[in-house]
Amino acid sequence: MLSLMTFIPLVGMVIVFAIPRTQTTLIRWVSVLATFLPLLIGIKLYMDFDRTTSAMQFVERVPWISQFNIEYYVGIDGLSFPMILLTVLLSFLCIFASWGIDKGVKAYHAMFLFLEVGMLGVFSALDFFLFFVFWEVMLLPMYFLIGIWGGKNKVYAAIKFFLYTLFGSVLMLLVMLAMYFYSEPHTFDLLTLANLHPFSGKLIELFGYQLPLDKLFWVGLFIGFAIKVPIWPFHTWLPWAHVEAPTAVSVILAGVLLKMGTYGILRMNFPILPEATLWAANAMMILGVINILYGAFCALAQTDLKKLVAYSSVSHMGYVLLGMASLTTAGMNGAVLQMFNHGTSTAMLFLMVGILYERAHHRWITKPDGSRGFGGIASVVPFYTAIMGIAVFASLGLPGLSGFISEALVFLGAFSKPEYQTYVVIGALGIVLGAAYLLWMFMRVFLGPLNEEYQSLADMNLREKLYMAPLCFIVIYLGIFPMPVLDLMGASLAKLLSIFP
Amino acid sequence: MQTELIKNLLLFGPEVTIVAFLVALFILDATFPKSRGSYLGFAIVLMASLCGIWITCQLGSQPETPFFSGMVIHDGFGRFFRYLFFVTVAAASWVAFQSKEVDSKSRTEFALLILCVLFGMNLMAISTHLLMLYLAIETVSIVSFAMAGFKREDLRSNEAALKYLVFGAFSSGIMLYGISLIYGLTGSMQYTEIATYLAANSAQTSVPLTVALLMIFSGFAYKISAFPFHFWTPDVYEGAPTPVVAFFSVAPKAAGFAALIRFIFEVLSVHGTAGNWQLLHPPTLTILSGLAVATMVVGNFSALWQTNVKRIMAYSSIAHVGYMLMGLVTFSYTGLSAILFYLVVYAAMNLGAFWVISLVADCRGGEDLKDFGGTGWTMPVAGACMAVFLFSLTGLPFFSGFIGKFLLFGALVQTPGLLWLALIGVLNSVVSLYYYMQILRSMYFDSSDNPVQVVATRAQIVGIVLLAIPTILFGLYFTPVIQFVERSLTGF
Repeated sequence: MLSLMTFIPLVGMVIVFAIPRTQTTLIRWVSVLATFLPLLIGIKLYMDFDRTTSAMQFVERVPWISQFNIEYYVGIDGLSFPMILLTVLLSFLCIFASWGIDKGVKAYHAMFLFLEVGMLGVFSALDFFLFFVFWEVMLLPMYFLIGIWGGKNKVYAAIKFFLYTLFGSVLMLLVMLAMYFYSEPHTFDLLTLANLHPFSGKLIELFGYQLPLDKLFWVGLFIGFAIKVPIWPFHTWLPWAHVEAPTAVSVILAGVLLKMGTYGILRMNFPILPEATLWAANAMMILGVINILYGAFCALAQTDLKKLVAYSSVSHMGYVLLGMASLTTAGMNGAVLQMFNHGTSTAMLFLMVGILYERAHHRWITKPDGSRGFGGIASVVPFYTAIMGIAVFASLGLPGLSGFISEALVFLGAFSKPEYQTYVVIGALGIVLGAAYLLWMFMRVFLGPLNEEYQSLADMNLREKLYMAPLCFIVIYLGIFPMPVLDLMGASLAKLLSIFP
Repeated sequence: MQTELIKNLLLFGPEVTIVAFLVALFILDATFPKSRGSYLGFAIVLMASLCGIWITCQLGSQPETPFFSGMVIHDGFGRFFRYLFFVTVAAASWVAFQSKEVDSKSRTEFALLILCVLFGMNLMAISTHLLMLYLAIETVSIVSFAMAGFKREDLRSNEAALKYLVFGAFSSGIMLYGISLIYGLTGSMQYTEIATYLAANSAQTSVPLTVALLMIFSGFAYKISAFPFHFWTPDVYEGAPTPVVAFFSVAPKAAGFAALIRFIFEVLSVHGTAGNWQLLHPPTLTILSGLAVATMVVGNFSALWQTNVKRIMAYSSIAHVGYMLMGLVTFSYTGLSAILFYLVVYAAMNLGAFWVISLVADCRGGEDLKDFGGTGWTMPVAGACMAVFLFSLTGLPFFSGFIGKFLLFGALVQTPGLLWLALIGVLNSVVSLYYYMQILRSMYFDSSDNPVQVVATRAQIVGIVLLAIPTILFGLYFTPVIQFVERSLTGF
């Protein structure tokens, strides 16, 4: 089932390649189908998923390269499954959001489908080698998607994204190799590594120093994942990539790719290197707080709508970090739920900004020359304003919408540890700042007297309403009743926590 | 005595074949001067390669035997390189015969020259005597000078040939001096005899020996274009015809590695216990690791500022030599097999990349980054293959270049105390991403004001795809190649 889900988009890509490039409508509908089938499988898996066990489910295991014990080994648990659901959902919706692409339609959709293969692969891989392959494979389509279909500074944004991520990955590659050769028996199997913890107490020589193996591994992996999250100070690629990318790609970047970083930390650093995790928990907490505040302050200063949303992601991923580092049940559940919720709410924000950009061809709240950008457009596009309102409030964590529950859980978890209370108090400022930059943006763009330039701005069309509807529904539903997602991950997170004293 | 000679000649079969075809081509060319523009030369090269491969195959059952009084040896290691050379020479000739840069009137000449180089390279891989090695290197070098200057009317091509010649003469002179020092120190030039002498005498790390080795290494460094003997590379690559460069960047480099590996493992080390070697001259590893780091860093960082794609690829080839040298530093079987694997995949991806460059150069008359503008859209298949080659050269997964790096870094991580080298290596591969992506950026993100559309012919597309297939395939499933490499190394 999992392989089918992962590779249907690949089949779709091959078919898209076979279609002549002038048949754009056909290409689009093939892509719709190639992303819809994984979504259906995702729903089927959701119904079959056993919520009581922490074991891997729907496991598929085939030897791949026997010399190195490399296997094609996939499976999902409560940690990866929410991310898979998020991926299949957003990929499907993004095809509709890409309807406006008119240059290189064929190549665009082929790349997009390839990207989905990589994302699903990362979340389902249980073999480190396989994980790494999927992790890197994602970069290739991403580079082209940003570089070809991006905005004005696309070339710079694309190479910056690529270089940063590759820098992280090569560190991961070294850790992967070292884990293989320093474990006995040599293995890339993530679950075996997590059961054995073979690295504690060993030393390794680097530049003439004897360093503890597990801490070195932890740091190497963490940098690799931190770049993806992105955790300050590795975040500088994000505003460029998110802003320059076409709408659908920004959605995938913010909605799915950022979660891979935190997912990786939870999948590898925590279970395989628990002692080093305890050693680093405090540092993660501090980084989380920095992320929250830094992202929020940067967002506050933006005059470009998309950049504001991009920096809000930095801030929101800080909450995830805070929850993870607390190592408490509430904190962890909050963190994973926040990963899911941020995926949906930030996707909404990016999609909405994209819709506005398609009509107005700019995104300025205040134009660079100081004049007024958008203003008072609520009276022209009431429906758009309403949806944007939902997205904004979900993102800033208004009770009753999804963001509130995950943020509350995160703070609850972190606050229950006395040593972290100071951080929580400082971090909670992020909520206030979040409300500030989002509401201030909302006020400047939608409220107040109408800027006459936008007198004839068109409201959302049916296609746009249709692809926003599922996200609105999820954001509201999970705000009232988060159990459908919390249920999925409970058992797995409990097991993950059980290894920490 | 006579039977001894015949037996030796049999073991020398692949090389005898090359010479036979060489002579045949020479006679044919003299008899039918009109055939010069035809594919006759390619047919002969192809036949020579196929026959050579077949004979090498037949010899596979023979045990490891030194022959011609210990001047050369027949073993699995040599066999591996013979295969590699036959295949790359055939592929490179196909590139050359498709290119406009090789004057259609002198195609036969090209075939003659490349067969000569092939002969020399085979000798480099199997020689076990310093004089034999020197002769082999000179055979390759002198013919290479002629190939670099193949475009006789082109000033840059002439400049390339001259630079190549001056540098070659300089470094081979140094090497020869080193060889004479070794002879003076040990009383022999035969590999095993030198090794026996070094093992028996305690003055292993004496200064004269180190000096002699440094001199010999400089000859090798020139051949594989390692720091500090790499300066000729960018200029020669820029000036020489692209198909010739494609060939230079792959085959003679592999031959240099073959000779270097044999030298280090048969002269400077003896078999110790447990299937490992014992190094007779420990400073060698320090020298090699220094060379590896310097070569990678110089190669990668110099490439960043280049605007000519052939110069970029020249520096990239220097960087790749640095990666492969890291494998030597591990001084282990895993390191060795990683190098051999790397040479195989490097041959495919580098030839492929140069082929696409040659395509663009043929259509647009230059190979600057701006000449590549928008070409990715006008030649979709060749463009996609170029992306494959470049990603593979960077070492991204799905492609064989990643497996090459995976094995190399694996060997480094496995060896205690070499993690620092691995760290420098991986950071270098991040740097390399930038300049490879410059090429892709030009091909896909930029549009060009050059009115000439770059379009690939069917024969070229087939060839390029044939090189892209192993580049992808060995990235996904490389067990057979690894097994082949390991078989070649048994008994080494």
